[in-house]
Amino acid sequence: MPTKPKLLPVQALLVAFTALPALPLSAADSAPTDGEPGLPYVYTKWEQITTKDGLPNDHIFAIKADPTRDCVWIGTEDGLACYNKKTRKISSWKEKDGLPWRVVSGIDVDPKTGDVWLALFGGGLARFSAGRFDHYHQLNSGLVNDVVYGVAVIGDEVWCATTAGASRYNVVKDKWNIYTEQNAPMEEIWNYGVSARDGKVFLSVWGSGILEFDLATERWKHYLDPDGEMEIELYRDDGVVHVITTGVSYVDKTLWVSTYFGACRYDGRNWRGFFAQEGGTPSDFNNAARGRSAHECWYCTDKGIGAIVDFETDTWVVYTMDPDTHEGIAEVRRAGKILKTLRFKQGVPHNYVLWAEFDGNDVWVGTSKGLARAIGEGYYPRLRPLDTQTAGSGSRP
Amino acid sequence: MKRTLEYRPWRQIGCLTVACVVSGLIGIAGDTATHDGSGPQQTLSVAEILKLIDVDAYHVPPLPLMTNKNYARSAADVEPFGAVKPFKEHFLAQMEYTGPGRAIPEPEHVDTVKIGFLGPIMPTVSVATGGKSHEENLGIAMLRGCRLAIEEANAKGGYLKRRVPFELVVRNDNGLWGASGNEIIDMAYKEHVWAILGTIDGANTHIAIRVALKAELPMLTAGDLDPTYIETNIPWVFRCIGDDRQQNYILVDYLFRKLNCHRVAILRSSNRYGRFGVREIRDSARRLGRPIVVEMAHKVGSRDFTMQLDRIQAADPDAIVYWGDGEDAAHALNQIRARGMKQPVVFCDRAVSDEFLKIAGPNAEGVVCGYPWNPDRKDPKLDAFREAFKKRWGVEPDTYASHAYDGMNMLIWAIQTAGLNRAKIRDVLAHRPDPFPGVTGDIPLSAALDDAGEVFLARYENGRWKYYSREDMGIPSGPVIERPRVEREQASIR
Repeated sequence: MPTKPKLLPVQALLVAFTALPALPLSAADSAPTDGEPGLPYVYTKWEQITTKDGLPNDHIFAIKADPTRDCVWIGTEDGLACYNKKTRKISSWKEKDGLPWRVVSGIDVDPKTGDVWLALFGGGLARFSAGRFDHYHQLNSGLVNDVVYGVAVIGDEVWCATTAGASRYNVVKDKWNIYTEQNAPMEEIWNYGVSARDGKVFLSVWGSGILEFDLATERWKHYLDPDGEMEIELYRDDGVVHVITTGVSYVDKTLWVSTYFGACRYDGRNWRGFFAQEGGTPSDFNNAARGRSAHECWYCTDKGIGAIVDFETDTWVVYTMDPDTHEGIAEVRRAGKILKTLRFKQGVPHNYVLWAEFDGNDVWVGTSKGLARAIGEGYYPRLRPLDTQTAGSGSRP
Repeated sequence: MKRTLEYRPWRQIGCLTVACVVSGLIGIAGDTATHDGSGPQQTLSVAEILKLIDVDAYHVPPLPLMTNKNYARSAADVEPFGAVKPFKEHFLAQMEYTGPGRAIPEPEHVDTVKIGFLGPIMPTVSVATGGKSHEENLGIAMLRGCRLAIEEANAKGGYLKRRVPFELVVRNDNGLWGASGNEIIDMAYKEHVWAILGTIDGANTHIAIRVALKAELPMLTAGDLDPTYIETNIPWVFRCIGDDRQQNYILVDYLFRKLNCHRVAILRSSNRYGRFGVREIRDSARRLGRPIVVEMAHKVGSRDFTMQLDRIQAADPDAIVYWGDGEDAAHALNQIRARGMKQPVVFCDRAVSDEFLKIAGPNAEGVVCGYPWNPDRKDPKLDAFREAFKKRWGVEPDTYASHAYDGMNMLIWAIQTAGLNRAKIRDVLAHRPDPFPGVTGDIPLSAALDDAGEVFLARYENGRWKYYSREDMGIPSGPVIERPRVEREQASIR
């Protein structure tokens, strides 16, 4: 059904600069001592975008950067939005505009066709193409269930994580496959997240850990919590931290996994668990994991963003909002110790974080009370000794 | 209304502990800690809670978070990996909701205050159970309990703040896996219910609570005894009935510590209910050094257990555990006895049903079942409920009806107290300072928001079920160490 996008001006987008006088940026403060690995880039310049700026809803479930259109797609609890980075205008679509269902829980863009695929939380799957929504659901397609949590495009295929199994749709052959306990190693079929890259599809499955599907061989691999117990984590680094997984992100042949019990990383040989009790991540309740590289992953938690920015040195940057002043706060942590705390005019719009999306040097963060763009001027990955850090970005801790 | 920290029914259980509670390690189960998990114990009245949760979208109220020192009152000798100190122990600290929902104002206009009901009330096909659905009798009992609670509340004025009636939004959960998820979404986003009670099948309930979490909607089960329901760390999920873990523990203690069995067999249904229902029995038996000698599964609705019983008989067990539906249980029992097998057979609570008795006939005599409450308890509330239920529906209330009645009353109380705000409804339920006084007994919630009340055994004697506490039957428990495993000098006593 063709729809006309509704263009809304972005009003009063506040760009906050970090030049607060209290920042401890003196060389004496931050200079690495002998053997100190250096410090990470910290995002201190943030834009916040809410319904006041034209978003259809502030509860942000999904974000997808679309570099070819120079825009960002935003899935909310009541509508789809598209933020044009050049014009800073927001287009939005609700059910009255043809969006098949109000809650957009996942988004991916087909790089070949530009089609936007939408996971609809209780409404199936939609393809948004040339201004038209095509609707796929349990009764007209091979979609196994209408409660779709995540969607990922790889090659000609669209993979959906649904509450009753995974669906795989080949858009060229118009062919559907359904994966459940009948034909995949799903102890439970409650799929939660999907990540597809480099010929592999990873599913995070509530009650079944992580499943890996190799597109070339059509074979499954299964990652479960080795201790097999719900109430304990026996060893920190023995595997997936819990059988109930909430998100997965595969990048640089590294797997980043989120759960409501902690988080973990797998490089193909070794596992490493991350828990709040060790002082890195702010919470064990992780809504999603978004890997940027083999070294960096942003965990979206109920107490802010826990970004591990240099895995080898266990260096984290935790982004939160001060609920009293609404200022942004960034803490640089390493091995359980807080190295630096920065405060800036605004940061994440809310501490209940649901999604993050990398967009070049920038990072988009979705919360249950608004969207934010962390502007990565002068961004550098991993760590740098202070004397080699880029000057002028306002992002050195 | 102050929390009564002394209210710890499990303390009575502890009195019976033969292998003595480890001295010097006894803590206070059900304590509350300050917001950051440290500092002195703190208790709040409901009025104080209401004041604290009146926050904007960005603040998290500094509510005291309950901490338990032993998960599910597990005896040390049946704790998993008992010889190892685990890196982390879950479910000991209460989860909090940190989202913005408390700032959502009450709607200006409501005609009714809707509460959702999700349960198996209409027969259909169920992939979860491998064929025809089979839990309608339980679901209808549950629905009747809920309807009665709603009708009674409406007779007293409905939602008192607005003087509008409560309305029950009823949905069937049987069907293909995932159907319950669609129903919860419908209730959350179209019907705009304020809380949901449901359901029974473990698979459907898991699907439902994942949706409830995303939609930020309180969900309470009065009929799903699957231990893993609550073991998900979702701050929106509650249970008001003793789960299968607790029933497993009392049956383990009965079989191994009281009857001194060494060779126990398991016969169970092959669905999720059977698979997860016996998990703690299987694991506990192994941890006690008396592993289950054989475990056999059958399809739901089976009437011929020859293959399973051949294997069980060959293993020569000295007791049999059965876990499945009441009718299947009765047929299995009859075939066990027809073989001349005299071993004690213990059952899950679903055997405590009219269908079981009708089919089992004289074989029912002496049967022992785990049971989540004590219907013989003398309580005017229970008597009044029985009378009202019988008057309304013409039958006696069963366990599903009774717990659903309690669960619905818990939701009604929370809505009356907190108002029309889902997050605040969650808050008052999760932080209520004293156990909810239900017709099934007091319902104290653990840190995991599970029913931490006592469970019982039901024994069929002289034509009626009689209910026994541990104390009544002199059932010993293993040593319950009320100290987190990660803080103990030694992981367990093994």
